[in-house]
Amino acid sequence: MSLAVLDRPATEPIRRRLPDDRTWQAAASGPVPSTVGFAAGAALLLLGVVPVVDAPLAYAGLTAALAATAGAWFARRSASTVAALGLPIAQLAGVAALYAGTASASVLLLLAGPSWALATHRTRAGVPVAVAGAQAVLLVPAVVGDTFGGAAPLPAALALAPLVVAVGSLAVHENHRRLRAQAGDITRLQREQAALLEQVRSRADELDTASRILAARAQTMTSVIDAVTQQSIIGTDRDGTIRVWNPGAERMLGLLRPDVVRKRSILDFHQPEELAVAAETSGAPTPLAALVQVAGESGSDVRDWTYVAADGTERTVSVAVTPRSDDRGVHAGWNFVGTDMTETRATERMKDQFVSLISHELRTPLSSILGYLELVMDDEDQPLTDEQRQYLSTVERNAQRLLRLVGDLLFTAQVESGRFTLQPADVDLAAVVWAAEETARVSAANAGVDIVVDVPADGLVVSGDAVRLGQACDNLVSNAVKFTPGGGQVRLTVRRAWQAEDRTVVDAERPGAVPVALLSVADTGMGIPAGEQGELFTRFFRSSTARRNAVPGVGLGLTITKAITTAHGGSLDLVSAEGEGTTFTMTLPLPAVS
Amino acid sequence: MDSPLPSPGAFRVLVADDEDDIRALVCLAVRKAGCDVIASVPDGALALAAARDELPDLAVLDVSMPGSTGLEVCAELRAHPGTAGIRILLLSAGASLDEVARGLSAGADAYLAKPFTVAGLVHQVKALTVGVPA
Repeated sequence: MSLAVLDRPATEPIRRRLPDDRTWQAAASGPVPSTVGFAAGAALLLLGVVPVVDAPLAYAGLTAALAATAGAWFARRSASTVAALGLPIAQLAGVAALYAGTASASVLLLLAGPSWALATHRTRAGVPVAVAGAQAVLLVPAVVGDTFGGAAPLPAALALAPLVVAVGSLAVHENHRRLRAQAGDITRLQREQAALLEQVRSRADELDTASRILAARAQTMTSVIDAVTQQSIIGTDRDGTIRVWNPGAERMLGLLRPDVVRKRSILDFHQPEELAVAAETSGAPTPLAALVQVAGESGSDVRDWTYVAADGTERTVSVAVTPRSDDRGVHAGWNFVGTDMTETRATERMKDQFVSLISHELRTPLSSILGYLELVMDDEDQPLTDEQRQYLSTVERNAQRLLRLVGDLLFTAQVESGRFTLQPADVDLAAVVWAAEETARVSAANAGVDIVVDVPADGLVVSGDAVRLGQACDNLVSNAVKFTPGGGQVRLTVRRAWQAEDRTVVDAERPGAVPVALLSVADTGMGIPAGEQGELFTRFFRSSTARRNAVPGVGLGLTITKAITTAHGGSLDLVSAEGEGTTFTMTLPLPAVS
Repeated sequence: MDSPLPSPGAFRVLVADDEDDIRALVCLAVRKAGCDVIASVPDGALALAAARDELPDLAVLDVSMPGSTGLEVCAELRAHPGTAGIRILLLSAGASLDEVARGLSAGADAYLAKPFTVAGLVHQVKALTVGVPA
């Protein structure tokens, strides 16, 4: 498991501002040239460089022009056409008054400012206004001819000036329009650039969030794994090199994470002999293959392995092996989650030894009791009285009961510890049933219970352990007799059937169904309450009906019967109704019909 | 230890069991089978010594005894030509087939699980002494 913490500093937001030249442009296309012109004109006038012939008119003109210029400054951001055309017209009027008041042709230079302002107007409407305005100013001497000493303006100048103004204005206008278009392009590009930047920034933010989530997940995973201190969690590459090593592994195997990760193999912590034996048994080509073979085939494998700690001590560990995939789902290695079972297994062994010892110790005195009883009861030289025989029979019966209990306990312990083995042979279930009937015959007769046997005349042979199957059948029959009141019936049945994949049993062969043998023991007894049927196969469990009716027993028989059936690859099921009776059915596999 | 009373011509049997009561019971059964108990001992080492000294026809050995177990005595007897011909009946409290198999592979002729019936033991002793030259 790769737990590299995914983290990086947050992306620095891009804050660079692009130069904004719109202000400058608005000024250049608007009032700047006229301001410069009129300021210069005012200076020349006040310094007396330009002669004044009619002072009130000249100063009124200058004032009007300066006022209109100031207005142009205020209105420079306005989109109003009236302001854009009206203010230069007012300036032109001022120039006309100045021209009339000074009678100096140099004043005509002041036409440039308003004309510029009109020519640089958005629309071409500024051009004819500029031409008309210039023409009007040129016509001033004709209107107030006396000031100019009767000198009429040259007709050529009158004719040419508008032309010059028109061409100049048009040129300025076109040039300016192009400039404005370029400025518009630049603005648009700037906007696009800004939008792109914004996109990049939000993408960077998304990435940042994603990597934070990933980092948080990795952190969660790491903290969960680190919180496990009682179990070892070891993750490896496909070649067994250790990549994950949690505190549980540190504790169990005595090495710290930095000393192990990428430096050691999982095989370093396994007992080599055990791996060699496992490899030989399973036919795995390498020790690692022996370790992971089952997990690789079936997705997981849990079994006991011997771990060797750093100090050489060996621990019995129940290890769950699972394959590990990377983020693309490709097989990347293996996970080993181990629980230390050393103490548990030792306790189990002790319990086994204890049970064996106790049962041996109980069996020995019981052997004496039964042996001497037999000697006394079978002594032909000194026959017993009927009363004595009856008493000793009671002693013998109870000694036998103790002996069975000891045997059952021992057997249950063997089943639990997995030391219970079968000696398989061909076993005729019909014979098993007849033998059980014979065993139970006396007690059934005493209880007034009728035993009916319904088995195939030619028998039904399964592969199994005759002794164990007999024990299982005896248990079922003796239970049935015990739990059936006088006048009732116990029916023992053996028949062949087929079991489908969904485990339902059918009477006729059909595709996908496998042949099975059914051994049923049905009684007409007190039944088992539905709520208790699930617990029936638990050790020492006794049904409420059994306890209420004081039926003797300790609750081992069905546990044993179930264990025997399961060991034969079969199943044990029951159908029961309280007050009506119970049917137990052993389903055992049959060899396929050839 | 029981004092054997040899009767000439009868089969000679060695009995070894650490439980006094069981040993006495086995001796009774052996006599019931018409044999002589030539030695009755409580552990494996004495059983081995008695078998070498007395060379009985049959040794009835308990499996779990202090010192050497019945299985070890059995293997030891089979390993030496002088004692290899002694017939051996093993008695054990462990009744699993696994133990039976181990007993028989150690060289025992028969195996009887405790608790045995006296009649069963008598029958087994008789069966094992058939054909033994008296």
